[in-house]
Amino acid sequence: MLSADFVIATAIVYVGLLFVLAYFGDRHTRANKSSFLRHPAVYTLSISVYCTSWTFYGAVGNAARGGLEFLTIYLGPTIVFVGWWFVLRKLVRIGRMQAITSIADLLSSRYGKSSRLAVLVTLIAVIGITPYIALQLKAITASIQAVAESAEGARGSLAGVDDGALAFGIAAGMALFTILFGTRNVDAKEQHHGVVAAIAFEAVVKLAALLAVGIFVTFGLGGGFEAIYRGAEAAGIAIYEEDPFGPRWVAMTVLSAAAIICLPRQFQITVVENANEDHLRVAGWAFPAYLLLMSVFTLPIALYGMTVMPPGANPDMFVLTLPLSEGQSGIALFAFIGGFSSATSMIIVASIALSIMVSNHIIMPIILRSSNVGQGDGQDVRRLLLLSRRVSIGLILTLGFLYFSLTGDDALAPIGLISFAGVAQFLPAILAGLYWREASQRGAASGIFVGFVVWAWTMFLPSFETVVPWVADVMERGPWGIGYLRPENLFGLNGLDPLVHSVFWSLLLNSVFLVLGSLLSSQSALERIQAAAFVDVFRRRPFAHRGFMPGSATANDLYFVAERVLGEKRAAALFEAAAEERGVEPAMLEPTPEFISRLERELAGSIGSASAHVMLAKVVAGGDVSLEEMMQMADETQQVIEYSQELEKTSAELRVTARKLEDANAQLRELDSQKDEFLSQVSHEVRTPMTSIRSFSEILMEPGDLNEGQRQRFISTIHNESLRLTRLLDEILDLSALERGERSWQNTPVDGEEALDRAIGVCDALLRQKGIRVEFGERAHTTMVEGDSDRLCQVFINLISNAVKYNDANDPVVQISSSVRSGHYVVDVADNGPGISKSERKMIFEKFWRGVEGGGDQGGAGLGLAISRQIVARMNGTLELVPGPLPGACFRVRIPVVK
Amino acid sequence: MTDRRKLESGVLVLAVFSALLIVPPLVYIFNHPILVFGLPQIVVYLFVVWALMVTATAILTRHLPRASDQDEHVGND
Repeated sequence: MLSADFVIATAIVYVGLLFVLAYFGDRHTRANKSSFLRHPAVYTLSISVYCTSWTFYGAVGNAARGGLEFLTIYLGPTIVFVGWWFVLRKLVRIGRMQAITSIADLLSSRYGKSSRLAVLVTLIAVIGITPYIALQLKAITASIQAVAESAEGARGSLAGVDDGALAFGIAAGMALFTILFGTRNVDAKEQHHGVVAAIAFEAVVKLAALLAVGIFVTFGLGGGFEAIYRGAEAAGIAIYEEDPFGPRWVAMTVLSAAAIICLPRQFQITVVENANEDHLRVAGWAFPAYLLLMSVFTLPIALYGMTVMPPGANPDMFVLTLPLSEGQSGIALFAFIGGFSSATSMIIVASIALSIMVSNHIIMPIILRSSNVGQGDGQDVRRLLLLSRRVSIGLILTLGFLYFSLTGDDALAPIGLISFAGVAQFLPAILAGLYWREASQRGAASGIFVGFVVWAWTMFLPSFETVVPWVADVMERGPWGIGYLRPENLFGLNGLDPLVHSVFWSLLLNSVFLVLGSLLSSQSALERIQAAAFVDVFRRRPFAHRGFMPGSATANDLYFVAERVLGEKRAAALFEAAAEERGVEPAMLEPTPEFISRLERELAGSIGSASAHVMLAKVVAGGDVSLEEMMQMADETQQVIEYSQELEKTSAELRVTARKLEDANAQLRELDSQKDEFLSQVSHEVRTPMTSIRSFSEILMEPGDLNEGQRQRFISTIHNESLRLTRLLDEILDLSALERGERSWQNTPVDGEEALDRAIGVCDALLRQKGIRVEFGERAHTTMVEGDSDRLCQVFINLISNAVKYNDANDPVVQISSSVRSGHYVVDVADNGPGISKSERKMIFEKFWRGVEGGGDQGGAGLGLAISRQIVARMNGTLELVPGPLPGACFRVRIPVVK
Repeated sequence: MTDRRKLESGVLVLAVFSALLIVPPLVYIFNHPILVFGLPQIVVYLFVVWALMVTATAILTRHLPRASDQDEHVGND
């Protein structure tokens, strides 16, 4: 049998164990860089500080009261981790680059290292988390009470102690523990390896405990999942919910997704304590898996509890009371330790995170402003820092305790949701800070403030309804009777679930003010620098932004400041390292802007960016002026870079265009010269017959003694010359039409052989006259090609007559052969003439080219081959000069055969 | 680079689809009062979707570049 005294003693021993673990964990990680405590699994487990006693006890209660709804609390974070590549990775990278110490520091740093924003965020976080801490106190109290009531005499020394006193004792114990635990030293990056190790251990304990209870209840008592559902249905419990997926489902999913980013303790563990960005790769899937395991047995435990426990039993405590009622002390004790683990881990991390925020952003700035640190009156900033953190922890737990004792007897989950909705007010400012460069400090501050006020009015205030009479009155009738401002029916919006109502209004107004505020205000220089550093964290090299110019600061002044915050050892190490890099004695170190900004980052790691900025600004004079200059320089550099990229792009385009133009120009020149050549050739060709016509006609015109015979000869010469002229012009017209792509005929299937025979027939007289022998090679039979019979015949005649004309061999021969080869009708006309010299081969198809070797006037205009080639081309064929069977030239016509 | 862009888009699509699968209206498809393996259909559905999200994220993450690999070419992404 378990007694209250026994579980309390166990809890104290357990806390002692945690302390030892944290102590040695810290030493271990400090001593060796590759400690197993730096493993991504440890990081993942520590993130599960998300699962508090709300998960351990409250989820079952939530499932018993609201069914599936409890799942949203774990599905929201799952979505965020599935998409870790986008938001979480960016946050972690920024956290490392900027030495971020808390969520207040993140927002303040992004929005121009604004102290006011940091104070606002810190206050909201403290108020927002208060109910959450109260939830943990309540859960521990309730679990001890559950043990105390489980049997006669189990109360032991708790007899006569009520909930309030018990909770106070727990809160005091927790405060003491956390102070011992988390504020032993001020770390450079505000990392607590020992604490993380202890939290990871607790994560294992609570998972094991919940799984043990789940397996015991489901399989030991309930007889398996199916049996539990059957039993519950038989006991009259509705296992099918009417409609769990209303607006509340969506609102809770959004809230929990926001919470995993915005909760100060989650930010502390996920971003600040992150030692290596790659750890997120494991956490991305392993944390959702952890959540899944934590949730597997929630529904069975809830259903079984509702089935067997007496009506009126608190479902929030089923995890503990089910084993207790079965007399299973071992499992019950394990369950108690699991619940205690989940509560302590949350309280430890949350109060450390909050105390860092309070001391860095509220207490330290006040001290920094009121006393002159640079003058040094013996006051040790480090000790002050630790003291302020300890006070903050006490303050935070006191607030939690007060909330616990003030509010009514609520279930666990609704209390947690109040906190979720409170911290969710940071989400718009964070997302805008990460992705929207124009988001400004005014916008962020007004958005967060308005969201907070709406949340406080619509959600925080109503949680006091049952204990404070005027709150109930305000909720009923509105403040001063203004119904429009009733907390749960704001602006007359009725019919919504109070949670949905509050989340809707607060996040909507928050975002509206953020956007409008950002659009209507302008950013300061520092804001613009920080906005760029955040939004483009992956894009640019971490450029050392120089917040300060050396100004009046000496190395001594700076060392003084550093020593006060970082301690003598670390300050000395920092300065010595810098001096060594520069190759000078530490005493001779000149404070360069790079060094000052490094120092600022180091300081920011301990006291937050806003405080570090203020502190250095006191020592380094003229900071703001040079900052403006810096900003301008950065802006100009950015502009120049963008401008030159633009120019480069344009000039590349221009180069391409210019090359195209050059090509086109060359083509045009070529065409132009061809045209000139053509014209001069045509003129020349026309001029020769014209000259003879003119001279003969002049002779005829003169009265002289020309006899009839002479006259007749002259006239016939004139006639022949004009015929030649006409033929020439006809050929030119024909050629130019062909070159333009026009065709004076229709391509129809014709017999190529018939055309060739006809051509040979026409040339027969010519051949005979010249005494040329015709040899026939291989002959194709009737072959149909696509073309025009007369034009084809013209081509053959031209080829044969060329072969005749230029043949000056002693025994002139023309060989004609035709065949069908690979789908083409091929005709070769070869001769044993002089052939065509290499240099002329390219020229023969040009206009007005006439064989030189043949010599003399061969009676053609030199257009025959050019025209023939065009005609064959219009029949989709080719006309080429090929090495022939005879010594002379051989022309080959190839035209596709019609299938 | 293109492969990496595609992977990034894959992560985005996975996150968006995961979110869509667990909110109305898609969840209604699996919210019928029937038992699957002795459990209400919707319970089985939600847990299966959840497990699939975990698996898909683990698989996609294996192909995403590590932060330590990227430091060499900062400014390219």
